[in-house]
Amino acid sequence: MTDRSFKYMFIAPAFLLVSATVLYPLLYAIWTSFHEWRLSKSRAPTDFVWFENYARAFFDDPAFLQSVGVTFTFIIGSVVSAILVALLIALLLSRQGKIYTVTRTIIVLPFAMSPALQGTSFRFFLNQEFGVFDRLIGFIFPFAAEIDWLGDSTWAMIWLILTDTWHWAPFLSLMLIGGLLSIPRDTIEAASVDGASAWMRFWTVVLPQLLPVLAIACVLKTIFSFKMFEYVYLLTGGGPGTSTATLTYYAYRQGFHAYDMGYASAIAFVLAILLIGVSVVYFRLLFPKEKEV
Amino acid sequence: MDFDRQTKDRAFAFLRGVGIAMIIFVFLGPILWIFLTAFKPLSAVYTMSLWFEPTLDNFRQIFDKPFYLGQKLWNSIVISAFTVAIGVPTALAAAYSFSRFPMKYKKSLFFGVLATQFIPPMVVVLPFFLMFRTLGLLDTWTGMIWINLSIVLPFAIWMLKGFIDTIPIEMEEAAMIDGASRLRVVWDIVLPVCVPGLFVAGIFCFIFSWNDFLYALILTKKEAVTLPVTLNAFYTEEGDRWELMAATGTFILLPMFAISFFIQRHFVQGATQGSDR
Repeated sequence: MTDRSFKYMFIAPAFLLVSATVLYPLLYAIWTSFHEWRLSKSRAPTDFVWFENYARAFFDDPAFLQSVGVTFTFIIGSVVSAILVALLIALLLSRQGKIYTVTRTIIVLPFAMSPALQGTSFRFFLNQEFGVFDRLIGFIFPFAAEIDWLGDSTWAMIWLILTDTWHWAPFLSLMLIGGLLSIPRDTIEAASVDGASAWMRFWTVVLPQLLPVLAIACVLKTIFSFKMFEYVYLLTGGGPGTSTATLTYYAYRQGFHAYDMGYASAIAFVLAILLIGVSVVYFRLLFPKEKEV
Repeated sequence: MDFDRQTKDRAFAFLRGVGIAMIIFVFLGPILWIFLTAFKPLSAVYTMSLWFEPTLDNFRQIFDKPFYLGQKLWNSIVISAFTVAIGVPTALAAAYSFSRFPMKYKKSLFFGVLATQFIPPMVVVLPFFLMFRTLGLLDTWTGMIWINLSIVLPFAIWMLKGFIDTIPIEMEEAAMIDGASRLRVVWDIVLPVCVPGLFVAGIFCFIFSWNDFLYALILTKKEAVTLPVTLNAFYTEEGDRWELMAATGTFILLPMFAISFFIQRHFVQGATQGSDR
């Protein structure tokens, strides 16, 4: 067998699987989004309606526009929160020593934990009558004891973001620790000799050198924030009302509760386009001069 | 001056200790609380008590009717195991090709494979639901393994390509000159060196398919339901059975602990190697 046939044979299974699981469904989704298709009434799409589903979303459906807002609130909140917490953890843990190694191992667990289980558990932890989070917070901050965390739309969003942060910050911090440990020590020591305080060293020496890793962490987190579904579904249920219903959740409701496949596909596709748009902007901002990625 | 510095250092060390304690408390606490709840008798579940008579009653209940956790556990194991067993070799083959051969549009192709992960699962799952309905794959192992492979493969290819890139090509070239076939080379030379990479990729594949919720929620109903989706079943008419969810949760968490032990071994090895230098 020649190398020529060999290389394609080796790639073929993976390529076929990926295209069968992504390209085909993607095209199918676009096609569906141009059709009227109520699953409760018909087993196949009924009419070709051009952009009607998209027009309905943007001009005729306040709930959709609201969920766009919710999505961006969540994305901005969760990216900022996860990166800040990750940075804090990374600064604490980027040292040699047994206790640091053990702690780094422990914080792998939240990332490896099933988001579904986490969403369910946090819902109970926040329960006003018997939730362990609720009790602890009430004990430390007595004035917060009366707050119904998931019953208030602002707090529900905050907890949605914090739940997501609990899952992602540890993993991102491991990335940042890798970045921090690879910063040459002599650059930090040189600044130290020049009389720079720890605070100044962080801003002028450490942070600029950490920027590339930080950028990748931001991009990764943004993509996964777009895709987040479990916490809305299991922690807040999109509520109270529709105050935490992100686009993913809204598309799910339209598809599998209202059985409106055409409309759900259109919403999901808007989500995909938004994600691509944000990624492009990101790459332009973060890697302005680089031509090769 | 010196004294000042010493107190300052001590204050910093103390703060760092508090910080680490907080990290462990915040990230380990909730997990331990789930474990604890799983072993609590019903009378203690909705209290903060740490002292109680541990019981296996919750576990007995979830394995009994109407929940039948055994079947769901088996589904989860089979689906994840097959996803790893099919995904890792397929990814290895593709990664080897990407790493070793010149190819037209290689960069775009490789980036394209990764870019599939930028697509929100919700976009893909709708057509899959309709497609599976036509093919009769809704609520089957085959369907679940297929869709899990789509999440897992791009990551695995990417990880393994990075791994193979670091292996020097000279050994393979020497073997080829001696007349060994490509397949022989991959089997005898590349595969043994790749074992750690395969392990890491396998673990990732396992975690992803074990924890998958969205696909299983939409594409399974009764026969092929996996553990994470089972959590929904405990919002019963008699109320939310938090203690049963926690008991199920321990099964969802169990492999994660095994895996983290494995990771710890690697981390600790890495750290001791570092200190030897």
